[in-house]
Amino acid sequence: MQLSKKLIMKKQFINLRFILGLFLLIGIASCETIELDLTEDPLAITPDSADAQLLTNQIQLDFVFFAETAGEFGGDVTRIGQMAGRQYLAAYGPTTFDRLWQRAYRDILSDIRIMTPLAEESGLSKNVGIGQFVEAYVLVTLVDLFGDVPYSEALDPENLNPMADSGEVLYERAIELLNLAIVNFNDDVAPDPDNDFYYDGNFQNWVKAANSLKMKIYASSRLVDDSAVTSFNSIVASGDFITSTSEDMQFTFGANEVQPDTRHPEYAAQYTGQGGGDYMSNWMMDKMDTSNDPRIRYYYYRQNAVTPGADGEDPNLELLACSAAVAPDHYDGFTFCYLSNGYWGRDHGNAQGIPPDGLLKTAYGVYPVGGQFDDNSFSAISQGSGGGGAGIMPILLASTMDFLRAEIALVSNDPASAETLLQSGIEKSISKVRTFGALDADADLAGFEPTNSDVTTFVGDTVSSFVANTTEGRFNVLGEQFFISLYGNGMDAYNFYRRTGYPSTLQPNLEPSPGGFIRSMLYPQSYAATNSNASQKPDQTVRVFWDTNPVSGFPFSN
Amino acid sequence: MKTKFSGILTLLLAFVVQVSFAQTTVSGTVTEENGPLPGANVIIKGTSTGTQTDFDGNYSIQASPTDVLVFSFVGFSSQEVTVGNQSTINVSLAGDNALDEVIVTAQGIKREKKALGYAVSEIASEAIKENPQTDVARILSGKASGVQITSQSGLAGSATNVIIRGLSSFSQSNQALFIVDGVPFDSSTNSNDSFQDGNNGSSRFLDLDPNNIESVNVLKGLAASTLYGSAGRNGVILITTKAGSAKGNANKKAEISITQSLFMSEIASLPDYQDQYGGGFDQAFGWFFSNWGPNFSPNGASGYLNDPSGSIAEDGTLAHPYSTASFSADFPEFQGARYEWRPYDSVEQFFRTGVTSSTSINARGGNGDVNYNMNFGHTDESGFTPGNNLVRNALSIGGNAKLSNNFRVAGTLNWSRTNFKTPPVASSTGSGTSGSGSSVFGDLFYTPRSIDILGLPFENPTDGSSTYYRQNNSIQHPLWTVKNTRFSQETNRIFGSANVFYDLNDDLVLNYRFGLDTYSENNVNSQNRGGIDGTVATQSGIYQTWNNTNKIYDHFLSLSGQYDLSESIGFAFNVGATSKFEEFRQNGISSAGQNVFGVLAHFNFDNFNFIEDFVQRNVVGVFAQTSFDYKNLLFVELAARTDWVSNLSVENRNITYPSGSISFIPTQVWSGLKGENGGGINYLKVRAGYGTSAGFETRYPVAQTLALSTQTFQDASGANVVTNTTSTRLGNPDLKPERVDEVEVGIESRFINNRVSLDLSAYSRKTQDLIVDQPLDPSTGFTTTSTNIGEIQTKGIEADLGIGIIQSEDPEGFNWDVNVNFTTFTSEVTDLGNGDTEEIVFAGFTNLGNAAREGETLGVMVGTTIARDDSGNFLIDSAGDYIVDNENGIIGDPIPDFVTNISNTFRYKNFNLGFQFNYTQGGDIYSQTIATLLGRGLTTDTENRENTYILPGVLEDGTPNSIQINNSDYYFGNVFTGPSELQVFDATVVRLQELSFGYSFPERFLEKTPFGNLSITVRGNNLWYDAPNTPDGVNFDPNVAGLGVGNGSGFDYLNGPSAKQYGFSINATF
Repeated sequence: MQLSKKLIMKKQFINLRFILGLFLLIGIASCETIELDLTEDPLAITPDSADAQLLTNQIQLDFVFFAETAGEFGGDVTRIGQMAGRQYLAAYGPTTFDRLWQRAYRDILSDIRIMTPLAEESGLSKNVGIGQFVEAYVLVTLVDLFGDVPYSEALDPENLNPMADSGEVLYERAIELLNLAIVNFNDDVAPDPDNDFYYDGNFQNWVKAANSLKMKIYASSRLVDDSAVTSFNSIVASGDFITSTSEDMQFTFGANEVQPDTRHPEYAAQYTGQGGGDYMSNWMMDKMDTSNDPRIRYYYYRQNAVTPGADGEDPNLELLACSAAVAPDHYDGFTFCYLSNGYWGRDHGNAQGIPPDGLLKTAYGVYPVGGQFDDNSFSAISQGSGGGGAGIMPILLASTMDFLRAEIALVSNDPASAETLLQSGIEKSISKVRTFGALDADADLAGFEPTNSDVTTFVGDTVSSFVANTTEGRFNVLGEQFFISLYGNGMDAYNFYRRTGYPSTLQPNLEPSPGGFIRSMLYPQSYAATNSNASQKPDQTVRVFWDTNPVSGFPFSN
Repeated sequence: MKTKFSGILTLLLAFVVQVSFAQTTVSGTVTEENGPLPGANVIIKGTSTGTQTDFDGNYSIQASPTDVLVFSFVGFSSQEVTVGNQSTINVSLAGDNALDEVIVTAQGIKREKKALGYAVSEIASEAIKENPQTDVARILSGKASGVQITSQSGLAGSATNVIIRGLSSFSQSNQALFIVDGVPFDSSTNSNDSFQDGNNGSSRFLDLDPNNIESVNVLKGLAASTLYGSAGRNGVILITTKAGSAKGNANKKAEISITQSLFMSEIASLPDYQDQYGGGFDQAFGWFFSNWGPNFSPNGASGYLNDPSGSIAEDGTLAHPYSTASFSADFPEFQGARYEWRPYDSVEQFFRTGVTSSTSINARGGNGDVNYNMNFGHTDESGFTPGNNLVRNALSIGGNAKLSNNFRVAGTLNWSRTNFKTPPVASSTGSGTSGSGSSVFGDLFYTPRSIDILGLPFENPTDGSSTYYRQNNSIQHPLWTVKNTRFSQETNRIFGSANVFYDLNDDLVLNYRFGLDTYSENNVNSQNRGGIDGTVATQSGIYQTWNNTNKIYDHFLSLSGQYDLSESIGFAFNVGATSKFEEFRQNGISSAGQNVFGVLAHFNFDNFNFIEDFVQRNVVGVFAQTSFDYKNLLFVELAARTDWVSNLSVENRNITYPSGSISFIPTQVWSGLKGENGGGINYLKVRAGYGTSAGFETRYPVAQTLALSTQTFQDASGANVVTNTTSTRLGNPDLKPERVDEVEVGIESRFINNRVSLDLSAYSRKTQDLIVDQPLDPSTGFTTTSTNIGEIQTKGIEADLGIGIIQSEDPEGFNWDVNVNFTTFTSEVTDLGNGDTEEIVFAGFTNLGNAAREGETLGVMVGTTIARDDSGNFLIDSAGDYIVDNENGIIGDPIPDFVTNISNTFRYKNFNLGFQFNYTQGGDIYSQTIATLLGRGLTTDTENRENTYILPGVLEDGTPNSIQINNSDYYFGNVFTGPSELQVFDATVVRLQELSFGYSFPERFLEKTPFGNLSITVRGNNLWYDAPNTPDGVNFDPNVAGLGVGNGSGFDYLNGPSAKQYGFSINATF
């Protein structure tokens, strides 16, 4: 075995044809296996096929879900809805807001960034305007919920760690956007968008909505901006804002259950074979029940005529565990656990497990989610019952404008105007809500709808109590009525509550020491943990820029 | 495609054609016990003329009849044969030392084990065949150090995680590569949905019939697997089937062997339920999820007569759950009926005893030049869960032939059909499923003791919908789930290989191999309308049918040669190129809204939706490997490979990675080490290896896409509105492959007359430029991007110890062998980018999952924790419960401290007895099973209900907590629904993995029978286990993958009861 010997190539008969054939076979067989440029996803379209109209559709849809989620948080902390959390710090963990944050930036603002240049190129000014309006609303709502949030550095693929802008700057930016939107809405040459889910092509109403949003912004910032009240009043003077319920900015849902599910999300969660979904707020039901509020049968549907523990009923440990318990000391003067007349909800902060009460507890009514009208039938809700979920999401209401104006009048020492505006706000809210009875075709409306005199009595009583009260009491009446009118979207209540501290009559948290009230929400986990320029707040008591009220002992019910 | 198939057919046909040979020289094959022996020396005695056998052990030499041929190979006894008039001389060399085995390494290259500078574990067919487990991966459990096998659950056909040496990446798959007969074999798990919504589907190595496996080698380190390119990154399970190993022996007749086995399976992790208390809360009766109700005895503080709800009458009965208003219309027969207040043992009776029957027939034969093997296997396994069944038919044909014109051909062709059925399994958090579908276990385990599952009608007589005891009917009856839901997966698979060798001369061989693996997986997921769990669509009835077609075409071309550079230095090389084409295509229809109850066909549904997916990727590689040996005592191997991948940008498309290893055998140098009479160190090898590999992103990470939906919403007229939206993923054209580097050192040794063997390996592995699905702050406009950041370091030790405690000289005497293996490793995230990212949760839920955090173990479990004050005390609220800290905190570490397996084999005469224990120390598990069973008051752990609890901690004012809470507040309000931290338990477990007792009939009994061999074995699997740090009554088995197959670990969502199996098998050869 010598090296030399090994390296001498032996003469061999090599079947050349066979070798060639072999390589040919390899060649043919490997054509598709050596293709090295497969970078495009064959099952996706590319960004250059983006369509401004299709994007505008998506922006409008994402907007309503954004507003709905924000409105629910705002409502739950202000007792319009029920908050489950004995500690304000822990009631909403950072991941709670991940979807909302994503909806705001990833979905809405990112789509607007792409839609706007495409729409401008095609002369679709109204689409551009809708984008600007939505962007302004989203910005304002993010600031109201969280405080400082990214904007000027946001939405840039080159910068994965955008810095937050101050809430104040974003409020200014929102006003700018709304001014631009108004110009675009007034562009008579531009065609209407393919779909307008809010005003069905009525761009005068869009202008009113933009001005109304500006009024909301000025009202919110009045504690830090001396000119805010003036700016507010100048829009009032122009009259070009939402004054009639026919101009209300709202989104109308459908009753289709799947592919797509067009129902109001709260209806979809509650109107199932087993019931479920949210608990109604005991504070609000009690307030409406004891004040003979004509809206109560539209807001709430009672599945059961009585609630355990109430009205002489036996307590029921299975269905309402607290019905056998004693009210905590700090609940003196407030209802605890159960209400009369079958109103079956939960107290503020109650975070107990869920008993099989889905088909017994009080459900959302026909307003605004499109559920059932309460006609004393006391039967279980079911999938498809009532309005089938074809309710609305209120975004900016004529009544809201009246309540905001009433607030401004009160702080401007003009109780007479405040009284008029309070009355007008309540009346607009009631008249709006009353139209919803027709959504529930199976209900006995004739037997149970409030009469006009019921309404008059209620409005009269409420306004008299306002007039008869001290300033503090007036703020309470105004706040309570404002909150009731905001059923379905509590963001404006949350702002009012932090701005004024009223009403001071809200049911406290079941926990005697729940920590400071949520002055702003903790930042979403997806922001705080993935953005190197972001850090989580120390706790929930951090105030947004316009909130100059005391850190502790405020708002007054907490 | 036609070209390829016809090519394969030609190759396959080739070896059934009888060929004739030129007889001008002496030729033959040198074999050893396990097959051909490459590199053996064939020398004409007394001369320097000689040759070496090629890769298949073949040689050919010019010799005269008087010559004596000397066949030698290190580690084997030399053999001398006089040529005479023979033209073919086949020689089988016997090992003079069992250490010097030849084993199959990467790309089918056979090497002497002692020449290897890296660890390879071998598992013989004896350890695999006739096992109650039908899944080859599960059989490997505990058989080799460094290999971690986790079952998704005890369901027959459920998926299995196979991870070697821990995680080295958290975005890429960490599942080991399966190579069957030299070609890549897809081992994916195609679940129908996420772990949350429906986690059904088998791991595709289930298509392999364990009884058709000849041997399994495990290449653990990167130095071993470099030649497989990036696919070999996670270690390689090299499987040689009987068909692939068809080896001839001219002296042996054709042989047929038949194996028949029958095994029973039962649920192993049945909780130990208490029988004192029934459904309710706070000792008051209620038709609840929970079991905190009154006692089954009438008197005493918690007796049912003292129940404040007063529901149970003195005679121990109460109103039948179907007698109440909500059910009265549908069940008039229960009006006024009474229901006995007693424990019903419902869960116990829900499960059944499963049966597994396996038949395997193998035929083999040949004359040394043309050899064949055929195997047919049939397995029918019904699991312990009703509705769960697995049927597999597998046919395998293989052979090889030596042609006259320097060609040799070999091939295998396998067909299998695997039919898997199960009721759906998905995660549950203790009150129904948490996702969009149903789960057979999701509503079962926490059934209150006072509920009679089998006695309560589960279908509404009017519309077939589920009915159950809870008064708003909000629990899906488990029997309804069994009857009305189904997931099935029927897989038809063809895989095989064709190999052509051309001997250019005695030293150079050209090899082309084509590997094919293609399967078509027909999935059906259905549920009749009327369910309770899941989405509205699921409740309306769903019928989803789709097909997954997966293809792998693998081409491999190599030139290899070997030379002796001098008397003492040998040299071998292997250069080649390979290409791998992978395609996954999914097509189907998802229907919802069933009309006629029970009819499962798309026409019967209101809504249809598409199911589609398509992914294609090519990887092309070139490689070179050289090895040198010096006097059989020093071996050096160097290799490198460059890969190109098709789904990255041109500039980032390729990566080159080298490897090298060295092996040194001191016992060859200093023979004195062996000691007197061999009582010292008989054999010692010291080795070191350095290996690298790469990880490539799957799918299309570079592409920027736009979404279009036709089903987002409807306009006022009810017409669907089409929408566009930007992609949530930011395409990254700069994405590179990730790179893994590993250094490994080890020793292999034998002592005391070869009675004791010890193999030790230590390794350190570093992954850089990790491909990470980096979560982006959505304010960037995107939620994720694939990017390269960070570094992971894994360090581990593996040891295999074998001791022949009793070795009898007498072949029929008593022998006792013990084998122990030991694995430990740590995996730390040493870098996570430039501080952009604090945490990446890569498995599970974002607020309860496995995360990467700098400085922590990779896969550390994060979730909500108990809030603590500045001094670290737990904070307690005024109700006496823990305050939750909602920010993600570390709640556990799923990686065990170590894992060890101890197996004992006893042989005496024709009997053998074996058992294998497995012990896992440490590692945490978040167990929803434990939390739910305690939280709902079901197991014996919760029997003592009179006590009160004071949670350790301080109140918010800083004073020590003194608030008493009761049993249900403690278990339900804290352990079950409190911070996630409280649901984490230590997963230490000891397990009797296998127990077997066999008898083979002595040959003298068989002489007059047609049998060559006949043996019978009784065997059990997972017959006993104990997880000592979990509550006793729950009987929890931590071998569960609640997040499914993937990189998640340490989570259980009530989805994985485990199985125990026992039975017997008979093996006969003819």
